[in-house]
Amino acid sequence: MATDVLPIIELRGVVKVYTSEAGDFTALKGIDAQVMPGEFLGIVGKSGAGKSTLLNMISGVDHLTRGEVIVRANGKDVSVHTLNENDLALWRGRTMGIVYQSFQLLPMLTLVENVMLPMDLCGLYHPRRSRERALELLTLVELEEHANKLPAFISGGQQQRVAIARALANDPPILIADEPTGSLDSVTADHIFELFEHLRENGKTIVMVTHDKSLSPRFSRHLVLADGEIVPNGKREI
Amino acid sequence: MRPRWRKVFLDLIDNKLRTLLVVLSIAVGVFAVGMIAGTYVIISNDMSASYAANRPANVQIRSDDFDDELLTTIRRDRAVAEAEGRRVVNLRVRAPDSQKWVSLDIVAIKDFDKNQINLLNPISGKIKPDKRELLLEREALKDLDVQVGDKVEVQLADGTIKRLPVVGIVQDPTTGAGDFLGQPFGYITMDTLPYLREPERYNRIYATVAEGQDDLVHIRQVTADLKDKIEKAGYQVRRTNSSKTHEHPLASVVNAILGILMALGVLIVFLSSSLIANTLNALLNQHLRHIGVMKLVGGRRNQIFSMYIVLILTFGLLALLIAVPLGGQGAYALSRLIADLMSFTLQGYRIVPIAFVIQALIGLLIPLAAGAGPLVRGTHTSVLQAISGDSGRGDGSKPKGEEKRESRWERFQVRAAAALGRRGIHIPRPLLISLRNTFRRRSRFILTLFTLTMGGAIFISVFNVRVSLHEFIGAVGKYFLADVTLDFDQPYRLREIEQYARQVPGVVDVEGWAYASAEALYADGSTADNITILAPPAESPLVAPIVVAGRWIRPDDKRALAVTEGILALYPDLKPGDAIRLKINGQEETWEVVGLFKFIDREGYLAYAPYEYISRQNNQANQAYSFRIATEKHDRPYQTAMSATLDQYFRDAGFKVRQAQPGLSSLDKASESLDILIVFLLIMALLTATVGSMGLTGTMGMNVLERTREIGIMRAVGATDGTITRMVMIEGVVIGSISWVFAVLLSFPITVLLSTIISVAIFQNPIELVFTWTGYLIWLALVLVLSAFASILPARNAARLTIREVLAYE
Ligand SMILES: Nc1ncnc2c1ncn2[C@@H]1O[C@H](COP(=O)(O)OP(=O)(O)O)[C@@H](O)[C@H]1O
Ligand SMILES: [Mg+2]
Repeated sequence: MATDVLPIIELRGVVKVYTSEAGDFTALKGIDAQVMPGEFLGIVGKSGAGKSTLLNMISGVDHLTRGEVIVRANGKDVSVHTLNENDLALWRGRTMGIVYQSFQLLPMLTLVENVMLPMDLCGLYHPRRSRERALELLTLVELEEHANKLPAFISGGQQQRVAIARALANDPPILIADEPTGSLDSVTADHIFELFEHLRENGKTIVMVTHDKSLSPRFSRHLVLADGEIVPNGKREI
Repeated sequence: MRPRWRKVFLDLIDNKLRTLLVVLSIAVGVFAVGMIAGTYVIISNDMSASYAANRPANVQIRSDDFDDELLTTIRRDRAVAEAEGRRVVNLRVRAPDSQKWVSLDIVAIKDFDKNQINLLNPISGKIKPDKRELLLEREALKDLDVQVGDKVEVQLADGTIKRLPVVGIVQDPTTGAGDFLGQPFGYITMDTLPYLREPERYNRIYATVAEGQDDLVHIRQVTADLKDKIEKAGYQVRRTNSSKTHEHPLASVVNAILGILMALGVLIVFLSSSLIANTLNALLNQHLRHIGVMKLVGGRRNQIFSMYIVLILTFGLLALLIAVPLGGQGAYALSRLIADLMSFTLQGYRIVPIAFVIQALIGLLIPLAAGAGPLVRGTHTSVLQAISGDSGRGDGSKPKGEEKRESRWERFQVRAAAALGRRGIHIPRPLLISLRNTFRRRSRFILTLFTLTMGGAIFISVFNVRVSLHEFIGAVGKYFLADVTLDFDQPYRLREIEQYARQVPGVVDVEGWAYASAEALYADGSTADNITILAPPAESPLVAPIVVAGRWIRPDDKRALAVTEGILALYPDLKPGDAIRLKINGQEETWEVVGLFKFIDREGYLAYAPYEYISRQNNQANQAYSFRIATEKHDRPYQTAMSATLDQYFRDAGFKVRQAQPGLSSLDKASESLDILIVFLLIMALLTATVGSMGLTGTMGMNVLERTREIGIMRAVGATDGTITRMVMIEGVVIGSISWVFAVLLSFPITVLLSTIISVAIFQNPIELVFTWTGYLIWLALVLVLSAFASILPARNAARLTIREVLAYE
C-alpha cells in the first residue's frame, strides 16, 4: 500500500461507555483502526460485540466517550465529534450514505421522493436535476419502473435497494451499512451484496457490519470485533 | 413539489380526521373571539352613534300638567339648549279584530316639523302624523298585529273606544332607551289629544343642556335646578332622569355582557389550544422516526423545524379560512340582534379590521404556542433516539413515573376484579381493557378531561345563572304583590275606596299608598341623585322585601327610610342607622336609613318609608292617589280582567281614574330579555362543549392509532368488530362521565362568577345564587351522548383494522 495515501477514515483510541441505571457498560474498549479509500471493509462479530456502536461512532450518530474519529473526504479533514449537531447533519448528508437493517424509508413519500430527500435537504442539486438523478439511482438499483410507488407496496429487498439508492443521493464517497442484509432471505441478500461490490468498483469506500462470518471472504478486508475490541488475528491483516 | 414540502402536504391530507379536528378546534375559538370582538366594535360604535344621532334628551322630567308658559321659562334657562314639552299618556290599544289589549305609551308632540329632541327614524309610511292619526314605534308591532293603513282601537280613560289610523311605523332609539322594562310607544299630535279626551297640556319635559352634554354631574345639577324651578312654579315633579348624549344608557350593560361572552371566547381558544397541543404531541411522537431519518440523510434541525412550523401554520390558515368569514357574519348577526333589542340602527355590514387582526393572531399564534413544546422536543431528538426502536415508537417518550403509576393502577385493577369476582360479579375483559387504556396516557387524559370539564361546568353554570336571574326577577316581583294598581287623578279617602272596592267580587284587600320624590344630597349640599320614596302601610303584606342589612320600615318610623343597596354607589360607607340629607318638598331634612334592600336600580333609586308618616307629611292623612288591591287569584289573565273591571267600576261610580294596571306587568319583559342573554351564554357553553368533544375525538383517535398493534392482537385472538368498537366507545364514555363529576364541582365557583358579573351589569347589584338540578342532568345526558359520538369514528377506525394491516404497521 502506498504510504502517501492517507486513510479516509481513522479511529484513534475510540472508547464508548453506555451509562444507564444498571451501571456503566463499556461497549468499545479503545479502538484504533483505519479505512483506506476504495476499501470494502467488513466488520464481523457476534451480536452484542459492539459493531453498531462502532458504526455510530464513525457516522457521528452517537457521541464517543474518549478518542477521535477523523474522516478525510471531499477535500476536508474532519474530526467528526467536534462538529455541532447541524454541521454534523449537513456534513454527514454530503459525506456518508448510511443503510440500516430496517429500511427507514418515509412511508408517505414515493420511492423517487425518498431518494430525492437527501438532495433536497443538503441542497447539492437543483430540484429539477435531483429528480433526474434520483431516477438514475433507481435505475442503478433496478427499480426505475416502481419509482412512483409507496414503500409499503414493494418487497423488503426492494426497499433495501431504495435505501441504498437514497444513501447514494448526494454522491457521498463513503457508504456505511449496518447489517443491510440482516432481514432478507439469502438470494435477495446476495443481490444486495453484489450491488455493494458494484459500487465499490465505482470508487466508493464501503464499511459494512455483519454477524455472518461466511461473508468475510467477500470483503476486500475485514475486522473481527468481540466484546468491544478488535480481535488480534484480524489485526494481523492490517 | 420538493420532497420535504410534499411530506408536509401529505401529513396534512393523510390523516384527514386529525387535520379536520385540529382545524375545527382552532376555528371554533377563532370564530367565537372574532364574532365577539367584531360585535363589540360594531356595537360600541353604532349603539352610541345611533343614539346620539337622534339627539337624546339630557334631562327628562315628569310632572303635573303644564303649559307653554312653564316651557318658555325652562327654555330661557342658560344651561338649557333645547327644551320640548310632550304629553305621554298610557292607553290600551288593540288591533281591530283582536281581543288582546296592548298597553301603549302614546306621546303627543306639538309640532313634528320643529322636533329637535328624541328624533324619530322613519321605517315605513309617514313620519309626521296629522290630526287624528297615529304613528307606532316598531317595538309595538311585536304585540300588535297591524300594518300601515289599519285602524287601531284605543280605549280611553272613561272606557269609550276611539279609532285611530296607523299612518306610519317609526323607530325611536332614544325615548325610553334606558328602560328595557318600558312599554312600546305610539305618537300623535297635540291636537289629537282632545279626540282622546285628554287635555292639550304637557306632562313631560325633554331638554338638552347647552354644554357638558357628556358630563353627568353637570347634567344632574341642571336637572335638579330645573326641578326646583318647576316646583317653585307650583307643579309637582314626579320623576327626573339625567343622561349623557354620546353614551347609550344601556351601553355599560351591553359592554359588560359582551365582556362575559369575550371571556368565554378566550376560554374556548384556550381549551382548543390544549387539543392542539395534544394532537401535535401525538403527531410528533409518531414522527420521531421520520425526523431521525431526515437528520440521518442530512436534515438540519431548522429545516425540520420549519417543516413542522409550516404544518402548524397551515392548520391555522385553514382554520382562518373557515372562521374569519363566519366570525364576520356572526358579528353582524349578533350586532343586529342587540340593535333590535335595544332599538337602534347599525351603520351597515362591514369588516372590522381589528377583529380580523385578532382572529389572524389567534389562529396563527395559538397553534404555534400550543405546538412549541412538542415541536422543540421532537426536533431535538437525536438520530440515534429516533432510529433505535425503543424511543422511536409512539409510546416511547413516556416518562418513567407514568410507568410506575400505570402498574399500580394495573395492580389495583387486578385486585378489584378479583374481589368482585369472588362476589360473583364479573367485569367483562374488554371493559377492563377500556378502563386501563383510559388512564394510560396521563397528560393527554388530563388535558382532554380538563377541556370537557370546563365545557360542562360552564354549561351547568349557565343553567344555574338562568334560574338565579329568574328567581331574582321573581323576588323583585314580590315588591309588587298587588294584583291591581289603581291610580286616581286626585286623592280619595282610604275608607271610601275600600268600601267601593269591596263591592267588586274577587277583591280581598285594599291599601292606599303614598309617594314622595326626594333628592339625595352629598355632605356639601350638592345633589347626588333622585330617590323615589314609596310609602305603603308599614305592615303591608303586599311588599315582600329582600332586606340585606338593617330592618324594614315600621309604622312609627319618622324621617326614616329603607333604601335600595344600590345607593351604596353614592354613599359607599352607608350603614343602617346612618343619617342622610334629603331635599324633600323643597326642604332639606336629615333622615335615618333603617335598612338596605335588594332591588333593580336601572330606573333610579327606590326607597320605602311608612305611609303612616309620609301621608301626614303630604297633608293627606287617610287619603291616597294610588291604591294597591289584592284579589282572590293571582294569575295574569285574572289580574288583567280585574283591572279592567275595577277601572270600569270606579269610573262608573264617578271617580277620576287615571289608570288601573295589572300587577307584575313589567316583569315579563325583563324575563324575556334575560332569556335572550341566556341563549347567548348557552351558545358559548355549547361551543365550549363542542371543543371538549372534539378534544375527546382527537384523543380517542390518537389512542386507537397508537394501539394499532394491540388491537391487531386482540383481533388475532378472536375479538369481533363489536367488541373492539365497544371497547373504544366505553373508554370515551368513561372519560365523559369522569369529566361530569369534575364539571359538577367546578360549576359552583363558575356560577358565582358568572352570576355576579351579569347581575352587577344588569341590576347594579349581585343577586342571590340558586342552583338547579336541570343543568346537571342535561349536561350528564349530553356529555354521555357527546362522548359516545366522539368515539364512534375512532372506534370504527379501530374495528376496520385487519390483522394484516396491524402487522404491516410495525
Ligand atoms: N443505548 C445503549 N445503552 C446501553 N447499552 C447499550 C446501548 N446500545 C448498545 N448497548 C450495549 O452495547 C453492546 C454493543 O451493542 P451493539 O453495538 O448494538 O452490538 P452489535 O451491533 O454488535 O450487535 C451490547 O452489549 C449492547 O447491549
Ligand atoms: Mg447491531
